[in-house]
Amino acid sequence: MVHVEIKAEELFAIGPLIVTNSMVGVLLASVVLLLATWWFTRRSAVVPSRGQSMIELPIEFLAGVVRGTGGKRWRQFAPLILAIFLYVLVANWLSLLPGVGTIGLAEEVDGEKIIVPFVRAGAADLNFTLGLALISFVAFIAFGLRANGLRGYLKELLIAEPAYMTPLLTPIHLISELSRVISLSMRLFGNVFAGEVLLATMLALTTATVFILPLAFVVPGVFLGLELLFGLVQALVFALLSMTYITLAIAEHRQHGSDDHSGEAPEQGAAPAHGSA
Amino acid sequence: MDLHTLAAGLAMGLGGIGPGIGLGIGFSKAMEAIGRNPEASGTIFVPYILGLALTEAIGIYALVVSLIILFAS
Repeated sequence: MVHVEIKAEELFAIGPLIVTNSMVGVLLASVVLLLATWWFTRRSAVVPSRGQSMIELPIEFLAGVVRGTGGKRWRQFAPLILAIFLYVLVANWLSLLPGVGTIGLAEEVDGEKIIVPFVRAGAADLNFTLGLALISFVAFIAFGLRANGLRGYLKELLIAEPAYMTPLLTPIHLISELSRVISLSMRLFGNVFAGEVLLATMLALTTATVFILPLAFVVPGVFLGLELLFGLVQALVFALLSMTYITLAIAEHRQHGSDDHSGEAPEQGAAPAHGSA
Repeated sequence: MDLHTLAAGLAMGLGGIGPGIGLGIGFSKAMEAIGRNPEASGTIFVPYILGLALTEAIGIYALVVSLIILFAS
C-alpha cells in the first residue's frame, strides 16, 4: 500500500516559519509564472510570434469568457480571475512533473521507512487552496461593497426580500456566503490530493507487473493524461466560480423592490465566448 | 479487516451516488440544449462547467472524508 500523508510534510524551519514541501511547490509555480511573464512580455509584439500566440490563446479564451459573463465591469476583475486561473493551472501541472512527490529524504517513522519529498503538489495542501479561496472571498466582498455601497451591501446581506422572512433567511444567507470559501478550497484540495493518491496507487499496483507486462508504463500514463485534464478543469472551475461570485456581488442590488429584476442575472454579452466547443 | 476501511469505502461509495445522478442529469440536459440549439454551445459552456463543479463538490466532500478516515485516523 502506498504511503499517503494528508498534510504537507515539514522540510525545515526558519525561525517561526515552517517551510513545508507544498510551499516549495507553490513557490516553484510562482517562479515559473514570473519567468514566463518576463520572457513573454519582454519581446511581445502586436503581431504575435508562434510562441506568443500559444501563450495568448488560453488567456484570450478566458478573457472572452469573463467578458461574456462578467457584465459591464468585467475589466475590473478580469486580471484577478486570470491570475487565479494561471496560478492554479501552473501549480497543478507542475505537480505532474516527474520527481514531484517522489524525490526526497528517507525518514523512519514508527519503524517504517517513508520518503519525505522535497516538492509536493501545491494544491495538495489545504493551506494553499484555503488562501486562494480567502482571496476570492475578500474580492467578492470588496466588489460588492464598491458596487452597492456599505448600506446597500449590508441591506442585501442582512434583510431578506419579504421583511418578515428575515430571521429565517438571513442565517442561511450568511452561511451560504461563508460556505463558498469552504467549498472552493475543499474542491481544489480534494481533486488534486485525490489525483496524487490515484497516481501513486496506480503506480504501486502496476510496479509488480513490470517484468511480465509493461503495464507500469502504460496505466499511470493514462491517469497522468487524465490528471492533466483535471488540473485544467479545476483551475477553470476555481476561476469561473470566483468570477461568478464577484459578478453576483456586483449585480445584486434591488433598490426599491419594484424593479428588482433589472440587475439580477449577469448579463450574457452579445459576443459568445469564442473557441469553446 | 479494519472497520476504518469499511467506513471509508462506504463513505465514498454512498457519497458517489448523489453526485453521479446529478452530474448525469446536468450533462444530459446540457447535451439536449446544445442539440436543440448548437449555436448556443458557447453560452452554455460556462454555466455548465459551473454547475458541474457545484454538483461534483458533494462527491469531493465524500472523497475528502473517506481519505481522512483512511489515512489520518
